[in-house]
Amino acid sequence: MTALWLLVGLAVGAVGAALFLRRAGTREKPIVDTAEEAAARVAAATELRDARIQAALDALPIGVIVVDGEARIVLRNRASDDSGGDTHNEVLVQAAVQHHLRAAVRGEERSQTVELYGPPRRVVIVHAKPLAGNGAVATIEDVTERSRVDSVRTDFVANISHELKTPIGALAVLAETLIDESDPTVVSRLAGKTVNEAHRVAKIIDDLLELSRIELSGDLVIAPCDVAALVAEAASRNSYAAEQRRVEVRVCDVPPGLMINADQVQLASALGNLVDNAVKYSEVGGKVTVAAFPENDGVTFVVTDSGIGIPTHDLDRIFERFYRVDRARARGTGGTGLGLSIVRHVTSNHGGAVTVESREGEGSTFRLHIPNRPADRPADRPAG
Amino acid sequence: MTMNELRKSFHHDLDDVRAELVHLAAFVTEAIPRATNILLTGDLEGADYIISGDDEIDARALDLEDRCVQILALQSPVASDLRQILAALRMIAEVERSADLVCNICKAARRIYGHALDPSLRGIITRMGEQAQQLYIAAIEAFVENDAAKAAAIDDMDNFLDALQKQFVQAIFESHSAGNIDLQVAVQLAVVARFYERIGDHAVNIGERVRYVVTGWMPEHKGAARYRSRADDTGQPRRPNPAALGSAIDDAVHEHDEPAELAAPDSDANGESSGGV
Repeated sequence: MTALWLLVGLAVGAVGAALFLRRAGTREKPIVDTAEEAAARVAAATELRDARIQAALDALPIGVIVVDGEARIVLRNRASDDSGGDTHNEVLVQAAVQHHLRAAVRGEERSQTVELYGPPRRVVIVHAKPLAGNGAVATIEDVTERSRVDSVRTDFVANISHELKTPIGALAVLAETLIDESDPTVVSRLAGKTVNEAHRVAKIIDDLLELSRIELSGDLVIAPCDVAALVAEAASRNSYAAEQRRVEVRVCDVPPGLMINADQVQLASALGNLVDNAVKYSEVGGKVTVAAFPENDGVTFVVTDSGIGIPTHDLDRIFERFYRVDRARARGTGGTGLGLSIVRHVTSNHGGAVTVESREGEGSTFRLHIPNRPADRPADRPAG
Repeated sequence: MTMNELRKSFHHDLDDVRAELVHLAAFVTEAIPRATNILLTGDLEGADYIISGDDEIDARALDLEDRCVQILALQSPVASDLRQILAALRMIAEVERSADLVCNICKAARRIYGHALDPSLRGIITRMGEQAQQLYIAAIEAFVENDAAKAAAIDDMDNFLDALQKQFVQAIFESHSAGNIDLQVAVQLAVVARFYERIGDHAVNIGERVRYVVTGWMPEHKGAARYRSRADDTGQPRRPNPAALGSAIDDAVHEHDEPAELAAPDSDANGESSGGV
């Protein structure tokens, strides 16, 4: 009997052991994760979230830097690493950022416009703000273009008022003086001055109308133009002014048969203005050279003078309407301040580019590149 | 504090000194074209801004010097670390002096206010300003990047600035002879040319210090070695005579002027740090 119970006991034990071993071999997944798995999953999610935040920040055009309560950087995007320019510009921007971030960590919100003289000139706005909890965030925004457009707009209003008001004011004063004047010599002199001022206003209005026509003309009349004839016309159009100032206008040999598909009227106007400008700002007895040559499936016109040159800081502004490098001197030249604007618009209408190199006392070189365009079919051209 | 912590602290301090020095030099680099424009446009307000800003440069330069002295006193650096601190001390003086010269250009702008300058004079002033700034940009980059080759190029770049100064002086004579500028303006302009030329020289000196930090050698070592190689009346190699030079640092000089040391870059020429303490 005892042996029987022993056998039963052994059998039950064996079955129990077999069941235990089977469960251990095919262990089922528990419903709750182990601590390691949970931590790994949280870490992966955090990594993914951080990568997304970093990618989103990197896509921003402005620089972003986040610091902790000790002003240590915890996050920064690509734009904050390189704000462009030379090392010293970068150093000055980063120094401003650090300075304001330290203040923001202490709870002060700060903003500063950093104007870098360059060259190239740049304007950067640095803004630092405390974050809820602790730490701070700084943004670095390059507003160079916005600032340039603002100053162009402001200067334009000031310049146009000056250019239009000056001759009209002079006309009014001259006319008032004439009313009370009986001496024929004085009347004649004042009348002469009145005519000059009236011509000046007329010239400004003509140039404004031409500029407006060029700006608005969406449809260019593209036809084959003889480059040599264009250059010769530009030179001859200014021959009188050149003679008066004893400036030699020399036309370089243009490759024979060189043609360009362009709007002849507009191109002639642009070239004429470039030569006019070169003659006006040349010293008496100076020399102006006009050349043209084929380049990059188009034609490049080069007008060089040995004149007074343009200050470096004005070079990027001379194509603006009514912009004057030296207002006092400009009035003596008889220009309207619109010539180079016309050149820029003609170039832009043709999809070309105009550049200038200049040094004060050494003269200026204007390069006008006009790409070749397919000519209009005769039927497309406006009648007349 | 363990040795490791001390080294970490030293390198942290050294990084701070370098960053502040670069910041000061960047101020000067930025101020050079500003001063040129102030001079050319007669911008009196701008001149005031630059001149009053010089006090801040002076204060920061003094603070930076104090920090270098503190590092020397507390951490006793050796080899390339020592060279870094010594070079920084010298460079601070160069940068501070350059800032003074920029101020002097602005003061000259006040003195010649209202006088028109010939385009040729204006053109050369613009060129001198650009070249002086280029030298400073190269000096900063060489320092930041520890680039001895770039630092060596600054000396050659300076030749161009020197040539411009000579050209400018000639143009001043011509303008004065033509009756376009009076004598006082001519003198002021000549002095302005000298200011630009000196700014260039300070940039060259910074470049030489960068070479010293990286290689342990400076161009002056060549001249010094040449001097010592010339035998004196007794047939012995010459040694500098501190008394004749009006210097009181006799023992210190003799201790350091071993010919073998001066003829070539020192043994730590690769610029590797040999420890901060």
